[in-house]
Order: sequence, then C-alpha cells, then structure tokens
Amino acid sequence: MAYDDLRSFLEALDKEGQLLRITEEVNPEPDIAAAANAAPRLGDAAPALYFDNVKGFTDARIAMNVHGSWANHALALGLPKETGTKEQVEEFVRRWAEFPVAPERRADPPWAQNTQEGDDVDIFQVLPLIRLNDGDGGLYIDKAAVVSKDPEDPEHSGKQNVGIYRIQVKGRRKLALQPVPMHDIAQHLRKAEEEGEDLPVAITIGNDPVISIVASTPMKYDENEYELAGALRGAPAPIAEAPLTGLPVPWGSEVVIEGVIEGRKREIEGPFGEFTGHYSGGRSMTVIRIDRISYRTNPVFEHLYLGMPWTEVDYLIAASTCVPLYEQLKKDFPEVQAVNAMYTHGLVAIVSTKKRYGGFAKAVGLRVLTTAHGLGYATTVIVVDEDVDPFNLPQVMWALSTKMNPSGDLITIPNLPVLELAPQAQSPGIVDKLVIDATTPVEPDRRGNYSTQVHDLPEAAEWLTRLQRLSARR
Amino acid sequence: MADPTATVCPRCAHQTVELVFTSPVPGVWDVLQCGRCLYMWRTSEPERRTRRHAYPEAFRMTAEDIRSASEVPAVPPLRTS
Repeated sequence: MAYDDLRSFLEALDKEGQLLRITEEVNPEPDIAAAANAAPRLGDAAPALYFDNVKGFTDARIAMNVHGSWANHALALGLPKETGTKEQVEEFVRRWAEFPVAPERRADPPWAQNTQEGDDVDIFQVLPLIRLNDGDGGLYIDKAAVVSKDPEDPEHSGKQNVGIYRIQVKGRRKLALQPVPMHDIAQHLRKAEEEGEDLPVAITIGNDPVISIVASTPMKYDENEYELAGALRGAPAPIAEAPLTGLPVPWGSEVVIEGVIEGRKREIEGPFGEFTGHYSGGRSMTVIRIDRISYRTNPVFEHLYLGMPWTEVDYLIAASTCVPLYEQLKKDFPEVQAVNAMYTHGLVAIVSTKKRYGGFAKAVGLRVLTTAHGLGYATTVIVVDEDVDPFNLPQVMWALSTKMNPSGDLITIPNLPVLELAPQAQSPGIVDKLVIDATTPVEPDRRGNYSTQVHDLPEAAEWLTRLQRLSARR
Repeated sequence: MADPTATVCPRCAHQTVELVFTSPVPGVWDVLQCGRCLYMWRTSEPERRTRRHAYPEAFRMTAEDIRSASEVPAVPPLRTS
C-alpha cells in the first residue's frame, strides 16, 4: 500500500487504531511537545497524535509522533503493524534491491491551492509553530524534507538531495538551517558559497511517510532519494516541480516553502535539543530567505519531538540507518549477516559477520568507520559472530561477556571525524573511535578457549512454535 | 496584548523585543523575539521560558556568546579563478 500524501496515511493510522486524536483544548506549549515526548513511552505500538484544538489558534492541525513506534513504522512501509523490528529491517533490505525506481511527475499538486509571495510571506499565518524543548532558541521545523541541487551539476538527478535538517524560524520570512558538514546539502552550499552564490532550496512539510524515511536515510552523494522512495513504496514516488525554484518536490506535501540559503551569511542560531539527547550550543548558522510558500487548504503541520531516546526520531532513523550501512559493507564483505545501527543514528553500530580468517572481524569493524555514514557517525563498532543476532541485545551482551578479551579485541583509533553534535568528542568534530571484536577467534588467531560453544538444540525451533501455539490457546 | 517595549529578553536581558505574531484568537498570546540573540517565545509559555528571573542559567546567552559563536559550517574561501 503506497500513500501519496500525509493525509491518506493519517487515515490509515486511524483505521488501525494508531492515531490518537486529542480533542480537548491544549496549550501550544508545553502540552504538544510534552505529549509527543510521552507518546513513545507507551511502547512499540505507540500511536501518532493529532491536535486540532490548540489554545489561541482558530485553525491549527498538528500531527506528532507519526513515525514514533515500530507499529507506525511498519504501517508506513505497508507492513502489518505487528511486524517485528528485525523483520522490518530485513524487508527494507529486500526492497532496497529494487532501487532505483524512477519517480513519476504528476500534475496538479494539492499544495498549489494557496500561495504567499515576496513581502506577503508570513510563515506564522500558514503553520501553527510550537516550541519543543525548554532550552530551544525558538520555534523549530524539524521534520521537513529539504530539496536542493548540486550547483555544479544541476541536471544530475542523483546529486540532488532530499534531507531532513533542523530549521529555526527566525521571522515571518526568515529561517536558519543546519547543514552538518557530513550531509549532502553542506556540499551543495559549499559549492554555491565558493562562487559567492545563494543556494535555492525547497522545504517540504507534511509528507507521505516514505518521503520522511528516505529523507533521513544516509544515502550516497549521487543516489536519488525519490528513487529509493519508489523502491520502498513499490510504486514510483509522485513528484512535481516547485513553481519558483523548479526543484522537484513531493507531489503530496502539505506545505512547500521556497527560497534561498543566502550565500556567505551566518547568524546566531539555537540552541536546540538534538537527536543525541543533548542540546547543541548557540552557533552562527546559515540564513534562509523565504520567497514563496505554497500550501494545501487547511494544511496539517507534521512535527517531530526529539529528546532523551527513544523518541520519534529514533524510530524514524532506525531501519534507515541500518540498511545503507549493511548495503555498503556487504559489497566489500559478503560475509556480513546483519547491521544494527539503530542507536543515535549509528553512533554505535553492531555488525554480525562470518570470518574468513583470523583478524577478519576487526577488518569489517574498521570498514564501518570509512563508509559514507560511518565517517561522521560510527564511533563505537561492535562486531559479533554470524550466529549472534545484532538486534538481540542480550545476545550481544553475551558476546561481549565471553568473546571479547580487552587485551587484543579493542582497537582505538585517535582523532577521527564525527559530526559536531556528538557530545563525547574531545573537540567538536574530532573523536577517538573504537572497534570491539566480540567474535570467536578463528585460525590463525588462537586466543581463548572456544572449542565447546553450546548451540540451540536442533529441536528447539520446533518447540518454540509448539509453545507459542500452546500459549496462544490459554 | 503583550507590550514588547515593557519586556526584556528572558535569555540575554536585551531590552529591544519585537512582536512577531499575535494569536488568531485575540488576546490569548503573542510571539515575541529578542532583537539581539533572536530568542523567540510565546507569552503563554511557562515562566522558565518567558521570564528573565526564571530563565535557567544553562540556557542564558550573552553578547560575547553571540560574537564568539562558531560558524556552522564555516564560510569557505571564494574561488578566485
């Protein structure tokens, strides 16, 4: 089931019992963020939240926590809501094999219904903006898919980018955007600024659920997010041309904001409670001038709370971080079985692999650090045997407990790059990285005494099914 | 509703505050913004976000903080060729 816009997905969530409508009046702050903070605490089947009675507003519609549980993530991919975490990641891998699926240009996008332009732009008239966390420097937009092109190669559709970045609202037609240097939009901006140019952007808000997933997937620089959306949806992603910039934007967006990142300009921004569960400090950041806003009548503002994990962002970037790392590793090392990089966008990654020979697992772990995403994120890599499920943390702890000897299994590499938001860095952007080899040594690595590992009894799988059946009957 | 000229920025104590937006239901809240540190808040938010005396020390900002804030990302050199 492919959803073409946010509204049809919200209807589907409603039918599945995965949308909670808060009908009583709430305060814009702190109620909406606090509710979205609390929602994932309801567990793996936590619902999305929908607010339409917000004090002081006459016409607000705010959707929170849309991707904020494994149940909702499954529904976003058109899977049954009971689908397990590991199964969702495996299905993501299977669908990635269909990549690329070219997008489909579709006429009459609903966001063309209403327009603000030039000095008439007032974002506050369009969106019911709210603050998320106490220390945030203002009202943020943090679930928009931002579209930009490579200024040196604008016709190359692979080098265009659709990504989610934090955006602070600084005025009626002024925003700030954080281009983390490891992300594609930072490369676009650098090229524009080296020429003294502005970088045109389209900021799309309230998208179909797969667009949010691909926009937060760490794809390679020349891979097209819409082509991944098509693979994940099982149908081409519908797109349309944004009227001012000509940028390709999702056909089904609620709101499309067009403008430019003003070249070579920086201004105080933040702080903002980030996906790391910590605030970034106030920094001098880019400035966006809004030139046009197009929006659906009665737009739904889809927003995302993030704070101490797990919150919605952790679900949104869980599978989508595991799979590209898996794909890139698998290319070099077919022995790799699975990758769990669900923790804080892959700051910790767990890899299970077969071994060719002694020392091989360490090489796999080191390779994680040099993948496109690993360069800026992977800080601790745990490598486990092929029979350890990296999604089963008790098994991973067992591997650490019994397979890892600190005298030879900890590899620390000093002064490697990490995104500046990583709080543990010695100076922002530079950190020591660690590979932990928690695999069983194989020849010619003869350390340890591993001749007699206990394996599940051959009959245990059958008994598991039998016990599940018996338990269900009770 | 709120008189911006009678308000100081909760975060940096600057005295120039601008009215950015006012509630569609008249008189419920305003959105204000500091002219120096650009902090933005809604007047209906809790005191810990809207009043200087209650604003947490950890989030306060000074003129020096603004001057010394690092550039993200750094502005690259212009290409000369």
